[in-house]
Amino acid sequence: MRYSLLCCALLSATPAVAGVEEALSDHILPGYAGFAEAAEVLAVTAEADCTPAALRDPWNAAFDAWTEIGDIRMGPSETGALSVAFWPDTRGFTPKTLSRLISSQEEAGTDPVTFAEVSIAARGLFALEQMLYDEDFAGYEADSYACTLVQTISADLANQAQALEAGWREGYAEVLRSAGQEGNAAYLSRDEALTALYTQVLSSLEFTADSRLGRPLGTFERPRPTRAEAWRSERALRNVRLYADAASGFARALADRELPLTEDALARLHDVADRVEDPALQDIEDPSARLRLEIVQQQVRALHDAIEQEVGVPLGLTPGFNSQDGD
Amino acid sequence: MTTRRTFLASLLAASATPAVGWAAVGDPTYLAAARLADDSYVLAGLREDGSTAFSVPLPARGHAACGHPKRAEAVGFARRPGTYALVIDCRDGAVLHRLTPPADRQFNGHGTFSPDGSLLYTVEQAVEDSAGHIGIWDAAAGYARIGAFPSHGVGPHDLRVMPDHQTLVIANGGIQTDRWDRAKLNTDTMRPSLVYTALDGKLLEAQELPEFHQNSIRHLALRGDGLVGFAMQWEGEPGMAPPLLALHRRGEEPVICEAPLGDELAMDGYAGSVAFSGDGSEIAITSPRGGRIHRFSDAGRFLGAVSRADVCGLAPHAGGYMASDGLGGVLLVGPEGARPLARAEAAWDNHLVPIAL
Repeated sequence: MRYSLLCCALLSATPAVAGVEEALSDHILPGYAGFAEAAEVLAVTAEADCTPAALRDPWNAAFDAWTEIGDIRMGPSETGALSVAFWPDTRGFTPKTLSRLISSQEEAGTDPVTFAEVSIAARGLFALEQMLYDEDFAGYEADSYACTLVQTISADLANQAQALEAGWREGYAEVLRSAGQEGNAAYLSRDEALTALYTQVLSSLEFTADSRLGRPLGTFERPRPTRAEAWRSERALRNVRLYADAASGFARALADRELPLTEDALARLHDVADRVEDPALQDIEDPSARLRLEIVQQQVRALHDAIEQEVGVPLGLTPGFNSQDGD
Repeated sequence: MTTRRTFLASLLAASATPAVGWAAVGDPTYLAAARLADDSYVLAGLREDGSTAFSVPLPARGHAACGHPKRAEAVGFARRPGTYALVIDCRDGAVLHRLTPPADRQFNGHGTFSPDGSLLYTVEQAVEDSAGHIGIWDAAAGYARIGAFPSHGVGPHDLRVMPDHQTLVIANGGIQTDRWDRAKLNTDTMRPSLVYTALDGKLLEAQELPEFHQNSIRHLALRGDGLVGFAMQWEGEPGMAPPLLALHRRGEEPVICEAPLGDELAMDGYAGSVAFSGDGSEIAITSPRGGRIHRFSDAGRFLGAVSRADVCGLAPHAGGYMASDGLGGVLLVGPEGARPLARAEAAWDNHLVPIAL
């Protein structure tokens, strides 16, 4: 019997690996703090003036801040990120739920505390985008139910942002730092914590290539421009850039050294994104516009591969055994 | 003095397969396959405390193995296309028998022994059109193939003998695959089903979830009173966040086990394994893609999630569930959360299979 080949290592107490601490202190924790601050500004502004004209700027600032950490899906953000940014909305839940709230003037829409119980599709940045930018929703009066609803969604968003920030700083950061220590059932070794963080970087870029760009691109015969992320607010291309910036920054913190291939790939991504004419990506039925967007998509994948080469390979990090496999 | 009777008895003993029980290989409770650091594969027996009872080499990565209820032997199925299965001696990894499905059939996932260990049932599909069949093999006679009957569905993946010992429950995945490249051919029109048959193949009951017809029914869990849990994998549009587990009792409507939308989304439309808890009061599914375990009450109410990267294997444990993952972790999952039991320098494969039925 080959006992020796399958020797079960004892759970040893080991210090967290350097990259984990850098990722937390240079990228993740400041990211959530920045988002909490921006969401607070949005909520306070909404309290004073709920109209789209007043809120579009602080909403955009909050979304910008969100992109720093918005693709992280672990710890408090594993499901918590979905109620901040519910996208893609495959079944059209966001407009449906908002319409229902407004038409029946549901009380939940007037109280940020009970609002935390409504469908995640009616919460967060994309619900606000619908209210602030969609012509079916954005025409509300200052003293209407919809106005109160916007204030409620904004206040709930600020609450969520604060909870995420605290959840990371006071809770999950320590779970990562104590990887490999006795009783830590999330990470049985320090390498597992590092791998989990690294996976977040790659997943973000995959999501940008496959969904943020892949969904609107659809097929050549049938492009789907309104499947772009945040097209109503014309942030679709901006999000692609910002999420890529964030992934690169995350990778830099994790590797804790210079990443020339990654920086080159990121710079090229911005170059090819400069050539895209419509920031909302609504022009992709035009074949040349489509081609320009496909080049952006290729470059996001090139950035992904550069990070894999420059961060993953030296650290010996590989994707999951079962998650890559169907059964 | 050697009488005729004792002589015959000793002759029989000598000619029969030496009946080596599981005690001879360290009394494992579960079987699990793993990939080692050198990319070779092993079949291991695990105990309830997470320790390794035995580990023997496998010739290739297999599908889930099933263990004989008495003898220390396991049947491992080849990965797709399932052209063979191997009966492995768990003492040394020796291949005792090589099972080959009929020429126009493929093994398609799991197999299971009858409770007394005399028969092995295997899920199979026709190479041509993926029509499902159950193969029957005589484990007492060198695993001779002794029969087969239709699974009453397409692409079956898992099956179990019901606690009455008179009924089989079959998960027909519903997916028709191309005979050459395994491409899925019918995801728009697929109709997975949960089917009960008598041991002779007679159809007793079939259940479908018409609202979720693109939810491939793949894996089964059984409770002693006949409650069946079936775990599903979504073949429809991504992001639809369908429920991935349902419960069923003969003669009743299935009960869908639904988690909150954010949790369903985090499962990524994929359940890899399903198991009842040790005391049967709850049931859980794993998603290696989402790195999550979802727990439900036996009435289908969502109880909570446990996060663990690449988790897939799941089986009942006296303290709740035992879970295994691709990072080598073996975890005990109880009502208060998860606790690590062991960590191997190996990647545990999809399933953790209880040996006792």
